[in-house]
Amino acid sequence: MLDLQGYGPRLIEGAGVTISLALLSLILAIVLGLLTASAKMSRSWLLHKLATLYTTVIRGVPDLVLMMLLFFGGQMALNVATDALYDRFGVDWYINLNAFAAGVITIGFIFGAYMGETFRGAFLAVDGGQIEAGKAYGMSDWLVFRRIRFPLMMRHALPGLSNNWMVLLKTTALVSVIGLSDMVRVAAEASRATHEPFTFLLPVAAIYLLIASVSEWLFARLQKRYNVGFGGH
Amino acid sequence: MELTTWFTDLLDGNLIFTPQTLGYYWDGLVTTSQLVFLSLLAGLVLAVPLAIGRSSRHRWISLPIYAYTYVFRGTPLLIQLYIIYYGVVFVDGIQESIFWPLLREAFFPALIAFTLNTAAYTTEIFRGAIKATARGEIEAARAYGMSNALMMRRIVLPSAFRRALPAYGNEVIFMLHASAIASVVTLMDLTGAARFVYARFYAPFEAFLFVAAIYLCLTFAILYFFRFLEKRLLAHLRPA
Amino acid sequence: MAATPMPLEARNIKKRFGDTEVLKGLSLQAHKGDVITLIGASGSGKSTFLRCMNLLEQPDEGDLLMHGEEILFKQTRRGREPADWKQVVRMRAKLSMVFQSFNLWAHMTLLENIIEAPIHVLGKPRKEAIEQANALLERVGLTARANAYPAQMSGGQQQRGAIARALAMDPEVMLFDEPTSALDPELVGDVLKVMHGLADEGRTMVVVTHEMGFARDVSSQVIYLHQGLVEEAGPPQDVLTNPSSPRLKQFLAPKY
Repeated sequence: MLDLQGYGPRLIEGAGVTISLALLSLILAIVLGLLTASAKMSRSWLLHKLATLYTTVIRGVPDLVLMMLLFFGGQMALNVATDALYDRFGVDWYINLNAFAAGVITIGFIFGAYMGETFRGAFLAVDGGQIEAGKAYGMSDWLVFRRIRFPLMMRHALPGLSNNWMVLLKTTALVSVIGLSDMVRVAAEASRATHEPFTFLLPVAAIYLLIASVSEWLFARLQKRYNVGFGGH
Repeated sequence: MELTTWFTDLLDGNLIFTPQTLGYYWDGLVTTSQLVFLSLLAGLVLAVPLAIGRSSRHRWISLPIYAYTYVFRGTPLLIQLYIIYYGVVFVDGIQESIFWPLLREAFFPALIAFTLNTAAYTTEIFRGAIKATARGEIEAARAYGMSNALMMRRIVLPSAFRRALPAYGNEVIFMLHASAIASVVTLMDLTGAARFVYARFYAPFEAFLFVAAIYLCLTFAILYFFRFLEKRLLAHLRPA
Repeated sequence: MAATPMPLEARNIKKRFGDTEVLKGLSLQAHKGDVITLIGASGSGKSTFLRCMNLLEQPDEGDLLMHGEEILFKQTRRGREPADWKQVVRMRAKLSMVFQSFNLWAHMTLLENIIEAPIHVLGKPRKEAIEQANALLERVGLTARANAYPAQMSGGQQQRGAIARALAMDPEVMLFDEPTSALDPELVGDVLKVMHGLADEGRTMVVVTHEMGFARDVSSQVIYLHQGLVEEAGPPQDVLTNPSSPRLKQFLAPKY
């Protein structure tokens, strides 16, 4: 039997951190991605440029560097801001950037850029005639989006979405570097302490594979649902 | 000489970007480039036979290769790096071998992890491209009396490499970015240099924005290089 | 009578895909200089028969002979397969095929397409292959397109290029699989003209086609296939002008 030398509960906790971190980042990334895609397709020149700048810079810099920039830099910016609040208005309001929140924000922010590209491509692939049909029947913009554009778009977006999620899941491992006790950090610590790296690192790798396989299965089911009416599969 | 004076003037009064810290960044750039270039090269060499095997209709050849690519693409590179970095000492007899002085350094475990990782991704990229070879072109090769090996060498691989180019360009950029985690196992690559400068001066914005700018430039350089290659090598797919 | 052995002979070829028997025992004898056209409705098995002749499809039963040399088969788990692939490769090099969808190699220029197999399969010196290719390009009227990629050429140009590629193998028998079916009507004429010329110079050809005019003017023998069997065969003046089978009569009747 696998002897985890007392690290078992911490590893399970770490797995919980990894999964919740990944899911929360995914939600944030989807929201940011939808906003970015809309900005890129908007008629406003400024919004378009801003969104392009965002996706270009994010996709041109390593995740780890962005993470450290946001985590270490973010704390410093917060300190400066709260100091200023105290100096000017006497408000004593110290915020300690917590590693989990920083992780969610950074990963969500990074993958928002990738999602933006995915959603933009998917929106463009939707047949414009069906949108017009919605409008012609007197649906509001929001209703058209919710009932017609979004479901049609999802069919095209799912493969990219699934791919982004798989990469995002693996990227969560990086938060161990900025001090968050996800399962990778626990396993690395245990490896160093016990000199038995395989005992801890291999099961963690297996958990990643398990999550990836389950996600693959889920996405295949989702794809089936959104493909309804498009024949074939 | 004028350039040097301009440069020292520029740095004059800057507490963080001294010639010394710029030297760290430069060394980091060299380390990152070596690491990325060597692992990509080795990964590419491994990926070609693996992709051919992965496309084989014999399951006993293709399945083990699929297992390898599935595991290496399904787990974080950081885990792979840790396993190799911490695990290398457990390989029997390795500490007595002549390679030990090399393997003891962080560079080689990192190189091995990166190579195995990029080889897995590249294998799947090539496999997809091989699979996408037009059936008719394969039939023509068969009909003209080509053996399987000749057909692979002259028809399938040359056209698959061209088709794989855009995806492989992304993989190269991915590897450049992924290499940042080398700093986690104490390597002084670009990110390692930035972390050092951050820790020493407690200046996160300067340290990380500067290195981000370098990565951005490298990314664009790779991007344009691959655009150029695509233009040259994919000319045959464009109608006149 | 010890005549020179036939360049190509097929005996009693049978082929099934799953439960359907596509070829139910077809034979064909191509003597030197013969132009044999295979006609029939789609699904009659004519293309499959042609593809069995150079083993792009493996016949389940029956024999293939080239110059009297029999292709050897063996039974494997996957079914009947050639016993000696080297023999097949050797045979294919003498039977060059022209496809319905041209199948030029997309990453090579037209010239490179033509010299590819002569150099790497036949082992011809490069210089010689290029000289021959240029002569063939002139013959099919494509000298100006030598350095174009297939994607940059019209269908008719691609097909004439593909014929030049086939000729570069100095084939003993040329197989044509509906060479004009994928072409726009106005491009068909140029391709047929090239094929006409080949027949006139005494090339041995087996042609699957829908072009009845070509079959009538050029063939030495016409074979009408129906559901995997030969329904009627003979010289074109008999088969096409005075068909005896009611099915063939209907097949040849004007469609409108």
